[in-house]
Parts: sequence; structure tokens; C-alpha cells
Amino acid sequence: MEIRIKEVSKYYYSEGKTIKALDKVSLTIPSNQIFTLLGPSGCGKTTLLRCIVGLETPDSGEIIIGDEIVWSGKDGINIPTEKRGLAMVFQTYAIWPHMNVYNNVAYPLQIQKIPKEEIRKKVEKTLRFVKLEGFEKRPATNISGGQQQRVALARALVAEPKVILFDEPLSNLDAKLREETRKELRSFLSKLQITAVYVTHDQIEALALSDIIAVMHSGHIVEIGSPREIYFNANHQFVADFIGRANLFKAVVKAQEHDKTIVSSDIGTFVCQKREFPVESKVILCIRPEFIYLKKDRITEEETTGEQNVISGQIDNLIFIGEAYEGEVRIGKEHLMVKLDPETSLKKGDTVNLVVSSNHCLLVSA
Amino acid sequence: MKRDSRLTIILIIIVGFLTVCPVIMLVFGSFSEGLSAFGKFTLEKYIAAYTDPELPKIISNTVIFVLGAALVATILALFLAYLNNRTDIPGKFLFKVISITPMMIPHILFSVSWVLLLNPSNGILNLILKQFFGLENSPFNIYSLWGMILVEGLLDMPIAYLIIAPAMASFDVNLEESSRVCGAGIGQTLAKITLPVLRPAILAAFILCIVRCMASFAVPSVIGMPGRIYVLATHIYQTISVGFAVDYGKAAAIGMSVLVISITLIFLYRYLTSESEKYVTISSRGYHPTIIKLKKAKIPLFFILGLLLFILIALPVLVLIYTSLVPYSMVPSAKAFSMMSLRHWNAVIKDPISILSLKNSLFLGIFGATVGVILSLFVAYTIVRIRTKMSGILESLSFLSFSFPGIVIGIGFMWFFVRTPIYATIWTLLIGYIATYLPYGIRPLSSAFVQIHKHLEESSKVCGAGPLTTMRRIIIPLLVPGIVSGWILMATMFLRELSLSVVLSRPGSEVLAVQILRFSGDGLWGRLSALGIIMIVISTTLVALVSFIGAKLQPAIK
Ligand SMILES: Nc1ncnc2c1ncn2[C@@H]1O[C@H](COP(=O)(O)OP(=O)(O)O)[C@@H](O)[C@H]1O
Ligand SMILES: [Mg+2]
Repeated sequence: MEIRIKEVSKYYYSEGKTIKALDKVSLTIPSNQIFTLLGPSGCGKTTLLRCIVGLETPDSGEIIIGDEIVWSGKDGINIPTEKRGLAMVFQTYAIWPHMNVYNNVAYPLQIQKIPKEEIRKKVEKTLRFVKLEGFEKRPATNISGGQQQRVALARALVAEPKVILFDEPLSNLDAKLREETRKELRSFLSKLQITAVYVTHDQIEALALSDIIAVMHSGHIVEIGSPREIYFNANHQFVADFIGRANLFKAVVKAQEHDKTIVSSDIGTFVCQKREFPVESKVILCIRPEFIYLKKDRITEEETTGEQNVISGQIDNLIFIGEAYEGEVRIGKEHLMVKLDPETSLKKGDTVNLVVSSNHCLLVSA
Repeated sequence: MKRDSRLTIILIIIVGFLTVCPVIMLVFGSFSEGLSAFGKFTLEKYIAAYTDPELPKIISNTVIFVLGAALVATILALFLAYLNNRTDIPGKFLFKVISITPMMIPHILFSVSWVLLLNPSNGILNLILKQFFGLENSPFNIYSLWGMILVEGLLDMPIAYLIIAPAMASFDVNLEESSRVCGAGIGQTLAKITLPVLRPAILAAFILCIVRCMASFAVPSVIGMPGRIYVLATHIYQTISVGFAVDYGKAAAIGMSVLVISITLIFLYRYLTSESEKYVTISSRGYHPTIIKLKKAKIPLFFILGLLLFILIALPVLVLIYTSLVPYSMVPSAKAFSMMSLRHWNAVIKDPISILSLKNSLFLGIFGATVGVILSLFVAYTIVRIRTKMSGILESLSFLSFSFPGIVIGIGFMWFFVRTPIYATIWTLLIGYIATYLPYGIRPLSSAFVQIHKHLEESSKVCGAGPLTTMRRIIIPLLVPGIVSGWILMATMFLRELSLSVVLSRPGSEVLAVQILRFSGDGLWGRLSALGIIMIVISTTLVALVSFIGAKLQPAIK
């Protein structure tokens, strides 16, 4: 089911200050996709999710789920949460401690007054789906965090909703379990015809899990796109910086070619991905460390095609982090973060050539 | 959201009626000529009340009594809280007993048992001592200020303990440890770090005790009045009791100052408790206070603890049982045991007024506590969950009655009830009780609400459950422990209620404590004891029964 959010605003007032948790957010969440709201803590993700599910009342705007207007400021429509027919997995899981696993999962069906036998079948099926068969009789507080998380998922899925909402469901798990659960979640969701709205502040989670990512920043949606688009072709400095790590430099557009843009910056002239900026306008050049290749030897002719940028600098710092070396290369007065192979023979103090493909030189507006 | 604000408004109206109405009526009453004549504005009552030549003496008695008893209670509580939380004293479960006993033994019976032990003419302990040492005069006279202070102090100690003990338990021990590292000994650390950090909690306990002592009626009436030692509460009572010149206006005028002081102190108390919460922070990581080894002091201290328990619980019960069986006050001896009979018990069972008061108190205890808990449930929900400006008003309103001295607020209600058809019925008592004791129901319930994460409720809504279903299937089951303790607290308080009842109770709406007060006035100690034992048995049974039902309803929450 499609969710349309139109100019939704939500303000909070605390200690005499107004916090614009959502500032005229407009957004369409397409059917049967995993849609992620990604942004730093406090940017309004939870607020938006809670407005969709009806636990928070917006100050203005309109929210439409499927063909039904569930909230409208001007028409005074406000369908209560329990009538919206959505499902949600809370950050704390919200497992009811006074019920066992079975009753926790069966709850939405019991509310719908479905016959007992049918409930039993559906709960069994759902528990099998989330790999929790045999846990029915366990007190819900007597299982591990990962299992609680799956109980919460089972409870959300059992009534076969058209939309499921997740508010940072993995943030309470430890790193290893988080990775496993993320993969499981992806496979669970891809087996279902369901619209999933997923909230997280973890960019890796967002990239790995989503069909579409919307990046949020202080109450606004900054950019929407597929994980690859967001990662490689961000249009905003905030997005480029927030997703992964990025070297950012001030630059000025010098020329526009038919599929390239050429800029000059403090670390030299760069051939970049095509962006429609006027010549002489100020932009930000953005280069991810993982796309910078370091070479000690001189660069051969074939390596310096028009597609490649080559600059030289000196390694200032190298830190071993297991899977790689993180390094800092000094070019004039500027520093550039780079990522090196863990078996590299380069050392601190070496003079190196840096090669960056023009495809990986991103320009965003300043 | 609309639903929520409608609920808040309804509750503000109900609680506002319960708490503001008696205050306003008291104010009006103090400026009017008499209970039936509201009519003209007059300052006469204030003039009469505050030019009374007896007043200075009464005020000085009150100050000594209140401060003395509050001090006794706070120091005892501090001592016990420290022993329990910070030392390796054996038998820690006994502290739990100390904190819940005041619910079992009504204050009036506790006071009476001390009168039976230490009154100068035939107090059992006095008789024993006279016989043993061949004394001419009784060595102790309970009918004195020190007698009142001691008994009231013992009665209020558990209240102070319930405030100080949690603060002591959640005390960040690093504060003490760093003092030790700096070279201070245990004693120095206690004086320079522990006590100052706990100061807000200790002060809060002290202030609450002052308010309770000012409102206390059992001790001043049972112990003070026979010794002609009047405090404000008994002075007010005298002004409105039949036989003296009944003057509700004058009583209200005196009551006004008691009420104003109480309200001021209670808001100071509230400020201090929020302050002490700020001060004493518990770190969420595993926390173990350093336990001080008592070594040689262990046995004597344990002995003191045992003695205190004996004095608080066993002694009054034993004295009452004994008195209910012997024909008149006598030293326990073979002769006394041979003369024991059930004649006082028979007299009580055949006494229609005693039976009526028993029925009335049971009704008020069970029905009143049920109504009170239901109201508290909604109020606690609004205060903890809705959290708007309006629910803030509700909180302050419901907190107001924490400061209500029963006898004063009873007079305020009197002014209101004489104008209604329920005057002189048991319903006046029901409304008065709930108004005065509402905070005791709200407190356990709001802390239960605080512990239920908002998401547990919200996820039920998302699952399609309406507010009522969510209430029934999620909130109520999780609230059972809070409901049970709120109900027990209210029921036991209603069963033994005295100070409000002495004003509002009329022929036909007698209650147990008032009947006991009457027996005590008439010196019918045997009947009093028999009725008292029945009262204790009933409240203990109720507590046990409800705790049992609560445990059954409550599935294993781990
Ligand atoms: N109940 C509330 N009262 C006041 N401010 C709030 C409330 N809920 C959220 N906020 C504020 O709104 C902003 C957005 O919050 P939230 O949606 O929870 O952020 P996120 O989930 O992205 O971390 C934050 O600045 C937060 O402090
Ligand atoms: Mg959040």
C-alpha cells in the first residue's frame, strides 16, 4: 500500500523554545518496497513514523495510506491508531511482560475476534516464519534480545498487514547479532508483499536493507534515492558526508564538457562527474576514501587517461584497523583521508601518487 | 488527544471538588456566624479564636509536641535506614515489617495500649514497678508531653523510614569512597559526606512528620486530653464537641492557620523530594553499597531492633488482648489469669453501636478503597502519561490533600454537607476519606505507571486494540502490584480513620475509631480492647487476602 505524506509539520514546545521536529515534510512511500528514513539522531525520524501510525498528531498537513486519508489538518480527519490497520516494531520491542510468547503474537488476532483455532494456526505459521517455533509457552521476558526482536516482528506480521513500520529495531542488539538480524530481516521482508518503512540512524543498515532511502536532516527530507544513488551520486553535501566518509573541499567550476565538469580546488584541478553548475560557481568537491588509489611508482601513460585525476602527496599518518589501513595524505596544506589495503607496503612519510576516477569525484552545491 | 484532555478536565473537576471545596468552605465558614447561618461576613470568629487566653499555652504545647515527635521519628528512621542499607545487621526482613506495620495497628489503639501500660493510676507497667520496688507513686505518667511525643514519634517513624530508606539505598557510594580515599574515617565520612548528601531526604521526612503530627488526633485525644494537655487539634475538637459551647466558626478560624501551615510545609516537602531525587543519583550500572561490618556492635544493635519491633507490634496487641480478658486493670498474675473471661467480648458483640460501627467501617474500607483506587488509577494515568499543563494542575490539586489535617478538613466538609441531603449519612465519610487520602492511592499507582514503558501501551493500539481493550489487557494486568498496594493502603487507612470521622460521624454513621474513642472517654478499657482486637484482625485479614489475590492475578513477571 502506498503512503503519501503531504506537507506534514509537527512542532514541539519545550522550555519556551519551539522545536520543528517535522517541517512541511512531503513524501511518497511506494507499495511493497523497503523504504528507509535515515538521518542523525534528533532529525525527526521517529516523529514522522509516529505521525504515520497515529501515535503523534501533526500540526498541519495530510497523511494518506492507500486510498484512505488517515490524518488531515484542514479536513479535521484523524483516524485513531487502532483503526489504521498498520503494524509496528518498536525500538524497545514493547513485548508485554505479563504474557507468554504465544499470547504476545496472538494479540492482534485476538483483538479482531478471530476463531481460536485459526489464531493458533496463524501464530504457529508466523512463529515458524521468524524461526521461533517451540517458544510459544515461554514467558516473553525470558528470552534473549534477538528472540524478543523476532517476537516483536512476528506480532507485527501475524495479522498480515499491508504496511509495517520499524523504529530502529536493531539498535538494542550487539554488533554481531545486529548484522545477522539485518540479513534475516531483509530476507523475511523480501518474501512478503508488504510496504516496510524503516527508521535508522545507521547508514550501513540503511544501505544494506533498503530499496529506497530518504535522508532526513533537522525536520526535512534532504534527498531520496536508491542506496547506490545516495552513495555514489548524492546531490547534497549533508548526504555525501553522512553516508560513509567523505573528503570535502571547496572548489570552483572552471569548465563544462559534455559529460564532465572540471573544477579547481586547493588540492588541484579535478575532472568530475557531470553536474549542471554554471562556470565560476562555488561548489563542494567530495571524494570518498575508498575510491582513492595510492601508488608509489610513477604513473604510466595509460593510467592517466582523461578519466583519471592524479595528484601527489605525502603520507602523514597510517592507522591499522584490521580490515584496512586508514591513512592521511598531505597535499600542500590540505589533508585527505584514504583507505589502504591491509597488506600495503607503504609507510608513513612516503611520497605517493593518488589516483581518483572522475566518476568518483562528486560535486555538490556549496 | 481530545479524549485525553476531556479525561483530564473531568478529573480536575472531581479532584478539584474533593480538595478545593472543603478548603473554600472552611474559608467561608471562618468568616460566617455559624454552621447554618452562612449569611453575613464577620471577623468575630477570628477575634474570638485568636484572643483566647488559652491559646498561647496551646500553641506552645503544639510546637513542642510536633517538633519533638517529628524529631524522634526522623532520628529513629535514620538510624534504622542506615542499619538496613549500610550495615551487615542480621534479620533484614524485619525492616520490611517495620515499614508496613503502621497499616495493621491503628494509631488510636497504639495510643490506648500505652495508656493501659503507663497511666499513673493503674497502668500495668506502673503497677508492676510499684509492686516490685514497693513504690508509693507511679514512676511514669503517660499523660504528659513527653508521653505524647514518644508515642507519636513511634507512630510516625515508618513514614520517615519510607522516605529516608530509598534515598539511603540509592546513594552513590563513590561519593563516600572518594572521601575514604582522601583519608577520612567512617565516622568523618558519615558526618561530612553521607548525611549532607542525604539532607534533602532527611529534611523531607522531617517535614512530612511535622505535617502528620499536626494532623494527628489519636495521640492528643487519648493521651493529651486526660492530662489536660491541649494541642491545636484537640482544641479545635473541643470547640465543636457537644457539651462545650459548639462553635464551628471559631473552629474554622483556628483551623485556617493549621491548614495554611500544613499546605506551606507540604509544598516545601514536594520541593525537597524533587531536589533529593536530583541530588541522589543512581548509576544504572550494577551498584553495591559498601557494607559496614558491625562486629561487636552487631548483637546489641540487633537487640535494639528486636525491642523496637516488639514495642511497635507485639506489645500493643498483647496489652489489648490481656485487657480484653481481665475484668479490670491488674498486674498479670495467677489471680489475673484465673479471673479471665469473655464478658467484655460479649458486651461488645451485644452492643448495637459497636456492631453498627463495625459494619460502617468495613463498608467504608472495602467500598471506599475500591472507589478511591479507581479514581487514583485515572489520576495517576493522567499525571504520568498525558503530561500536559492541565495534568500538571491535576497533580498539584491531588497533592494538596496530602497536607490536609483530618479534623480541619472535616470542618470544611461539614459546612458543605449540612447543605446537602447526604448530611449525617455514611456518604459524607466516604467522600471525606477519599478526598483526604487520595495521594496514598495515587502514589503507588503513578510509580507503577512510570515503570510501564509507553511503548507497551502504544504497541497495543497499533495492534488494533481500542483504549478500553488496551486498558483491560495491557495496562491493568501490569498495574496489579500498584493497584494492590494502593488498595491496601487506602482500605487500612479508611478502616481506622479517626480525625475526619470525629467531625463527620453522626448517630447512625458511627465508625470503629470513633467508637473506640468513646469507650476510651468512658474508661471502658475491656470493651475497647475487644473491639480493637477485632479491628486489627479485620485489617490484617484484608491485607493478607488482597495480597493473596494480587499474587494470583499477577502472572510471573520476571
Ligand atoms: N515529546 C516531545 N517533546 C518535546 N520534544 C520532542 C518530543 N519528541 C521529540 N522531540 C524533539 O523532536 C526532535 C525530533 O525527535 P525524534 O523524531 O525523536 O528524532 P529521531 O527519531 O530522528 O532521533 C528532537 O529534537 C526531539 O528532541
Ligand atoms: Mg528515534
